[in-house]
Amino acid sequence: MSQVAESSHAPTSTGIDHKKLIMWLFLASDCMFFGTLISTHLLYRKLYPTGFTDAEGHQRFIQNLFNIELTSFSTFILLMSSFLMALAVSAMHKGQIKSFRRNVLGVIFFGLIFLGCQVYEFTHFLHQGLTIQNSVFGSTFYVLTGTHGTHVAIGILWLILLYFYSFTGKLVGHMGALDVEVAGLYWHFVDIVWIIIFTAVYLVEYLGPTGFWGTGLPLTK
Amino acid sequence: MSHAATDHNLVTEEIRRYHHFITLALWLAAITGVEIVLIFLPVSLSIILTVLCVLSAIKFFAVILWFMHLIYDHRLLFWIFIAGMGLAFATFTALLSLFAVDRIDTKWFS
Repeated sequence: MSQVAESSHAPTSTGIDHKKLIMWLFLASDCMFFGTLISTHLLYRKLYPTGFTDAEGHQRFIQNLFNIELTSFSTFILLMSSFLMALAVSAMHKGQIKSFRRNVLGVIFFGLIFLGCQVYEFTHFLHQGLTIQNSVFGSTFYVLTGTHGTHVAIGILWLILLYFYSFTGKLVGHMGALDVEVAGLYWHFVDIVWIIIFTAVYLVEYLGPTGFWGTGLPLTK
Repeated sequence: MSHAATDHNLVTEEIRRYHHFITLALWLAAITGVEIVLIFLPVSLSIILTVLCVLSAIKFFAVILWFMHLIYDHRLLFWIFIAGMGLAFATFTALLSLFAVDRIDTKWFS
């Protein structure tokens, strides 16, 4: 039988649980972190709009490097993982531990698919000759998306630990629901950062007949 | 209010949210689909860019308000996050303004 999480908690001066408050403060600071990374990428994309030169000395264009179908798929996967995370948090608040486990497994699975897509994309780019060292675009792109990928990997690890922790019988009541909610906040944040990256880094490359930065070859799509 | 009544209210509230989450997930998927179609439309670049920014902002705020519970939680949490986001946006604007030129003298970097 399900047991509803108690709403009472130790009183704090703000009326907000400390764990939740600290997580929101961390997310606000992480916002600034990703803000600078995205700004740097866009700025250098503007200052150095041409592509890169591969190992054979050929000039390559960024616009024709991306695979919009793959990126759209991974974006959809991450959005749906956020949805499952919201359901997992909701299940914990209702005290439905089995439903929580089911949903959190879904989040982990979707997160792993997202990471798989990113690994595939990085491998594809490396085969095309784009490295972190041979162009400004390569440096800012790999640092930005790599940092995001690291956040996703940490989130997956956190959720795996929570999943196994739920079998110990200690993930119950208000504190258990709070632990899951804090992990959920982190996961949703990773999702909203990707929403911005998807538009600012990927979609803008496809705007206009020669890409947004106006230096690419006419797109064949 | 009795403890049982409070529990019942909590469950009712969670069920209501559950339906909101499903509706929101469908909207997020639909908006992403619209974004992908938009980039291939032969429309003015500035119009598409504006629409893309608006759609991204809608998705962004939908997730933080509903999935991250900011709409249900303490108002202070909302302002903490907005402060971080505001600083990030200010950094972005400042950097773009500082380098708002088409070409820079790259000899300074060599």
